Amino acid sequence: MAEATTKTTYQIPIGPIHPALKEPVMFEFEISGERIVDVDVSLGHIHRTVEWTGMQRNPIQILYLAERICGICSYCHPIAFARAVEHACDIEVPERAWYLRVIQGELERICSHMLWAGVAAHEIGFDTVLYLTWQMREKALDLTEYLTGNRVTKAITMIGGVRRDITKDMLPKIHETLNYFKDNFEKLRHIFLDDKTIKMRSQGCGILTYDDALKLCAVGPTTRASGVKKDSRVDQAYFAYPDLDIDYMTPDKLTGEVNGDVYDRIIVRLLEVKQSIDLIEQCIDKMPSGEIVSEPKIPKLLATFKKTSGEGIGKHEAPRGEVFHYVKFNGESEKPYTWKVRAPTYNNILPWIPMLKDEQIADIPIVAASTDPCMSCTNRVAIIHNKKRTILDKEELHRFSVEKTRRLMK
Amino acid sequence: MVEKRLNPEEIVKYFKDEFKIKIKDSRIEKRKAGAKKQEFISIWMKIDKGVFKKAVKHLCELTFPHLAVVSGNDMGKNIELIYHFSLYYGTRNEEVSLNISVDLPKSNPTIETLCDIIPGALVTEREKQEMLGVKIKGIPDSRRLFLPDDFPKGMYPWRKDETGPQKMVRNLHEVKK
Amino acid sequence: MRFTMLPQVFAQMLKKPFTNKFPVKYVPRNTTKLLEAVGKGEVQIIPPIETPPNFRGKIQYDKEKCTGCQLCIRVCPSGAIEFKPEEKKIKIYLARCTFCSQCNDVCPVNCLSMSNEFLLADTDKYSKDLIVE
Repeated sequence: MAEATTKTTYQIPIGPIHPALKEPVMFEFEISGERIVDVDVSLGHIHRTVEWTGMQRNPIQILYLAERICGICSYCHPIAFARAVEHACDIEVPERAWYLRVIQGELERICSHMLWAGVAAHEIGFDTVLYLTWQMREKALDLTEYLTGNRVTKAITMIGGVRRDITKDMLPKIHETLNYFKDNFEKLRHIFLDDKTIKMRSQGCGILTYDDALKLCAVGPTTRASGVKKDSRVDQAYFAYPDLDIDYMTPDKLTGEVNGDVYDRIIVRLLEVKQSIDLIEQCIDKMPSGEIVSEPKIPKLLATFKKTSGEGIGKHEAPRGEVFHYVKFNGESEKPYTWKVRAPTYNNILPWIPMLKDEQIADIPIVAASTDPCMSCTNRVAIIHNKKRTILDKEELHRFSVEKTRRLMK
Repeated sequence: MVEKRLNPEEIVKYFKDEFKIKIKDSRIEKRKAGAKKQEFISIWMKIDKGVFKKAVKHLCELTFPHLAVVSGNDMGKNIELIYHFSLYYGTRNEEVSLNISVDLPKSNPTIETLCDIIPGALVTEREKQEMLGVKIKGIPDSRRLFLPDDFPKGMYPWRKDETGPQKMVRNLHEVKK
Repeated sequence: MRFTMLPQVFAQMLKKPFTNKFPVKYVPRNTTKLLEAVGKGEVQIIPPIETPPNFRGKIQYDKEKCTGCQLCIRVCPSGAIEFKPEEKKIKIYLARCTFCSQCNDVCPVNCLSMSNEFLLADTDKYSKDLIVE
């Protein structure tokens, strides 16, 4: 909406590759003074034709391609894809595999939320917390490497089950890591939720109302912090979640009220870390014995794909929201006819527009980082002011954010 | 907002009562999980292009859905778009996944927008416009979303016919012996 | 409280650093030659942390057991394995390998296994060290 006065707004394009964003996204902000009047988003700067490449390969090869769609939710995409293929081909997964899949998923959620906590603190200017949370995250990554063979791209999914089992001699290390997190959780909670600086920067900032979250189809902690009760693990019956004790994590569980600002999103993510630790312990207690994969002979599995014709959908709750995969086979070849991926960040991009209106430029990094977009890069910002172009680089934009913290602290 | 919760057969009946023969092939699939054999229910329906938008408005009166994504298939003579909705999230194990598919002939691939009812559909509708060549009437913003601006017009990456991207593919990894 | 991090900062000053030191003082130009020199005892390095069991490192191929069934080529996600028709054996290009070990799982005679070598950096993608046959 243009102001009908002599004061004109000017436009700042931010992106495509940018500091606080983990995905190359292009923004154009219309600014009047320091206040943001309007936002325009454009995507697609790192489009890698993953879906087209996937349609040239058979489902076992697609599992590894799906893993590399995102580095942090690298477990969620293969799992959702495997679930979709199992739906289309009607494959039954053995019970022990359900529990193993849940354990790996929750472990990944802990790693991802710790990484996010560090990045959010860095955007405010609080680098010491960045180092502390990433140090704690190393323990979780060590456990992942012990269980699966690698820290990030875990390659532990197979259609019909999982590839590696958790044996009795691995249990002591799991318990040791979980106890470490339980002991240090109170430390983390105290740093994030009681600290005056973090409260000043994040309360009242970047608000997303309940109605906007519903209408713009937001997913994940972004929408749970606005009070919408939407979590795939609780909503749907899949893997071992119906047998576990799990509930929606909304901010009123801790503070009693829902504001939808950045502080609420911090609360939701910290509560989820605690919930994940609890879920892993429940799984280890309840896990039955049995097979870990429904069809160990791979050539037979490939032959099943060749014969099926049908479609299937698979959803999973990644740390950032709901991941959705759709697969269609047409009965003639083992390669899928169609494969559609919907990463959670694509639904969370539109809510940036109401969140950023009427905020200041220095708040852009923390608001964008609070929705936890998915890949990380750095670059420059070009400012067009009175027809002259000046280029601000990453350090300057980050400096604005840090300076605001210093100003507020005085 | 208290709403009456319908079971899957009643949901299909709700649509059939209103639109009669325009709803073709509907099927309900259930997959079990968990020791108590809880079910995950998915409903698949095919709707005529003409009544599609009225059907979505009818759905919103029942309960406000969450639009996950729109996926597209190239079926030779026509393009099939599937809208994946989720209903009844908010209570444990009660979510129903509703998938509505619409057939568009390749000679006239147009359909109306959902952005006035569900503003969050903007991103996925723009993607279908550029990837499959579907024209969406009334969309507020029809710029390209994922493809770069200098990508040739008229080439639609997800199609399997002559407008597909076969000419643009290069295999970079083949080693000369 | 204004300075919630202060107790952590003071505690950290008394503990030893969390990270490991880099094995050598200066980055080597060719990692595989450096490892050979270490094996011969010419160069001393700070030992890296032990890899866990079942670590997925460089692939090892037992040529005698291979029957030439080509199942590993069908499942490799990146096309890193090539078939040699005259001998009926395979050739693996490590430059394209993603270390997923799917070929190990598929092989009916178990001739492929993963070792725990991970220092494989080299400047030439197709050098002799990076082709396993």
